[in-house]
Amino acid sequence: MRTQWVLAFGLSVLGSIAPAQQVAGANLKNAGIVPGKSGGTYTLPLGDSPQTFNYFGAIDNNNYTILNNVLESLVQYNLATYKLEPGLAESWTTSKDGKVWTFNLRKGVKWHDGKTFDADDVVFTYNNIILNPGVRANQIPNLTFGGEPIKVEKVDQYTVRMTLKQAAGAFLQPLRIFIFPQHVFAAINPLKNPDKFMQMWGTDEASSVVGTGPFKLSSYVSGQKVTLTRNPNYWKVDTKGTKLPYLDRLEYLVIRDPQAQVAQFLAGNIDEININGAQFPDLKQKEISGAPFKIQRSKALFGSPPHLAFNFDAKDPQLAKVFRDLRFRQAIQSALNRPRIISDIYNTVAVLPGHGVSPISEFYVNTRNQLGRYDLKAAAAKLDAMGLKDTDRDGIRNIAPGKNLEFDLLYGTDSTIYPAVTTILQNDLKSIGVKANPKGILVSNLLSTGMSGNFEAMILAFGDQPDPQLRREIWQPGQALHYWHLSTRKADGTLNTVTMFPWEKRIHDIFEQGATTIDPIKRRALYGEWQMLFAKNLPVIMIAKADNLAAVSNKVGNFIYNLGPIPTYNTNTFIYMK
Amino acid sequence: MLNFTIRRILGMIPTLLLISVVCFTVIQMQPGSFVDQYLDDPRVTKETVANITRQLGLDQPLWVQYLTWMKGIVTQGDFGFSFASGRPVSSLIWERLGWTVFLALLTLLVSWAIAVPLGIYTALNRYSKRSAALNFFGYVSLATPDFLVALLLIALVLKWGGSNVGGLFSPQFIDAPWSAAKVLDLMNHLWIPMIAIGLEGVAGLMRQMRASMLDVTGQDYVRTARAKGLAERQVMWKHAVRNAVNPLISLAGLSLPSLISGTIIASIVLNLPTIGPFLYDSLLNKDQYVAMTLLLFSALLLLIGNLLSDLALAWADPRVRFE
Repeated sequence: MRTQWVLAFGLSVLGSIAPAQQVAGANLKNAGIVPGKSGGTYTLPLGDSPQTFNYFGAIDNNNYTILNNVLESLVQYNLATYKLEPGLAESWTTSKDGKVWTFNLRKGVKWHDGKTFDADDVVFTYNNIILNPGVRANQIPNLTFGGEPIKVEKVDQYTVRMTLKQAAGAFLQPLRIFIFPQHVFAAINPLKNPDKFMQMWGTDEASSVVGTGPFKLSSYVSGQKVTLTRNPNYWKVDTKGTKLPYLDRLEYLVIRDPQAQVAQFLAGNIDEININGAQFPDLKQKEISGAPFKIQRSKALFGSPPHLAFNFDAKDPQLAKVFRDLRFRQAIQSALNRPRIISDIYNTVAVLPGHGVSPISEFYVNTRNQLGRYDLKAAAAKLDAMGLKDTDRDGIRNIAPGKNLEFDLLYGTDSTIYPAVTTILQNDLKSIGVKANPKGILVSNLLSTGMSGNFEAMILAFGDQPDPQLRREIWQPGQALHYWHLSTRKADGTLNTVTMFPWEKRIHDIFEQGATTIDPIKRRALYGEWQMLFAKNLPVIMIAKADNLAAVSNKVGNFIYNLGPIPTYNTNTFIYMK
Repeated sequence: MLNFTIRRILGMIPTLLLISVVCFTVIQMQPGSFVDQYLDDPRVTKETVANITRQLGLDQPLWVQYLTWMKGIVTQGDFGFSFASGRPVSSLIWERLGWTVFLALLTLLVSWAIAVPLGIYTALNRYSKRSAALNFFGYVSLATPDFLVALLLIALVLKWGGSNVGGLFSPQFIDAPWSAAKVLDLMNHLWIPMIAIGLEGVAGLMRQMRASMLDVTGQDYVRTARAKGLAERQVMWKHAVRNAVNPLISLAGLSLPSLISGTIIASIVLNLPTIGPFLYDSLLNKDQYVAMTLLLFSALLLLIGNLLSDLALAWADPRVRFE
């Protein structure tokens, strides 16, 4: 056995502090975290009413945003580096073959109702809830390795062992899932009665929710407001020994309309909002003219960069042949005016995209050279070289005599980004003799249309994640969401290698290997190779990556960024009111 | 009169049954179902989707789903449960009903209180400049969507440095117990939705009242009343207005269903905790029991509204009573 994680900041625990307490924030100085003062109320907007307060009862971002403050998991994100740090697990070891993980739990942690947290809670949560197929938001897909879900067993009161059928490189990532109190749920037996389990902690039972997190759920006024109060027994203290969290109250106002959120922020009823590039100029101007808030911009690890995809399996065989030709996709990339999109549509609040990972990810390799420059002449020359010429002199190139190089371009109408990108692209393509016919549908229908295979070209976005393994369903050929080349997957879900290009085969193998490799250096090399293959062969053409933008009241201290529903990325623990 | 009321109430039952079938059919005709959202979610396995489908009863034939739903309503007053939150539909509607009824009745009252006098005034002073101005105002407010007025008011309040931009309370009062300060805060927020939502109603009602009033003032009995030597005041209020207001009473009954569906967009823009956005969400998510119950409820309100307006009409108009 070798120790994977030795507590970096656990050493600073002082004698004067009770054993359960843990100094936090020392490694966050670079992110701007300083000791704050206790007290105050911090108010945030919530995009809609939460459907339930049972984390596993619904897949609902509003529910997740709230519970991120209330519940905790074995591991949690470092707010500055996004590396996984000890949470409810104080340390862990892993066997040489990477299949057996042993977690030492933090001692002295109390649930909000005063009961003690221990291994029984962890084992119960995994075996009865997280790995329960009857529970709506179960995590079986994320915790299945080598075709079998993990085994979770209690070793002693503060030790838990997890056994995997196959070693997994990104195993800690899915362990960010929250732990539930056994003493609350054991009586209803979730394995037998998943329906009854999911009805518990509904929106009318806010005050009965029990977690170990920095805040307690205190009340919910339907459709209006969720109130959380400080957990006085929380196990983290800051570098000065002050108990965390600093805030007395954390409030979420339910405001559905983004413009109404901005209005409430400007009126001073909300202390922070996340904004987008379209809202940026107006608010920035107000900031410069002395409004009592700051616009904070940060590089995004999460967030969804849009891409342009051509259907390799387009219904029209001649069109599919063109789309499969790398020279065509290279030509389109040269005609994609990224600088203009970043300056005009994102109002400069975006950067050149990575390929499948964010440019600030630890896995990122520099693929910028592969993006090329915006060059319509080069694009036209590429298409000429393919033999796609305008034979009938109507201004549009021909695939075959009498048949124009023309395709439908699907985009989402209810977005501030997609329609404008589509217009810019359409005009540039027109000037090199390619006709794109924009077709707008609702953003929420884009992916299902893609998955039906019934499209020619599409602008779509997938969220970036800290570990490429988590996005395997999208980027690995033959996986469920590889929508631009569905024929890499047979009807029974198995791989169809016949239709794959050699580089697609290699990408497939990289993901297979990456899934079972534990050595972080080898994993990084593998995923680096994938990104280069991606950037050179353009399965899809990445467009741009937006930065994070937040408008923060000057009353707020220690603001980093608010990721809302991303589990265990909880910045509210450190927020204080000046 | 009692006989008439009972007959009308009994008559509602077959109508409601028919409407429930129509509601169910309409919801089922929507393409897709609630579980579709999970199909292309990598976090959800096929097995889980099958489990959810079974738990929600969506694997049953349609007629079984309908009969189970109806049986629950008739035998236990159980309107089914929300697919999204797992809670009973009736409790979800109940917790939103208070503010919805409050806001709807208040706007109705406000728009009546403004519209009826204005309608009478513009009818009596048909050619005055003030009437022309009021008519113009009526046309403009009729043509302006309520959410646009709401946005304009919010922008104005922000410009004046106010903080009452949307919602019914300031954040600190939302979960506070009732007090004088809370009522004051409510008043401070309430005028925006009153103007935004009420204004549209005012214009319509005012035009209606004006037309009706013009009709009545030309009638023989008004001339007779004048010829009898009654004071102009009495002629107007006892003979003209009382007759002219009848069509408006029928109209009021018809506006009861707008409790639910009337102000969806304005409610979202103004951030009001009413049923409208709830209905909108349930339709988008295909949360079928919530949507069906709300549609059924809105049909019931229409029937009740009709009954109430008929009763009110009978009270206000002896001719209806004697028939």
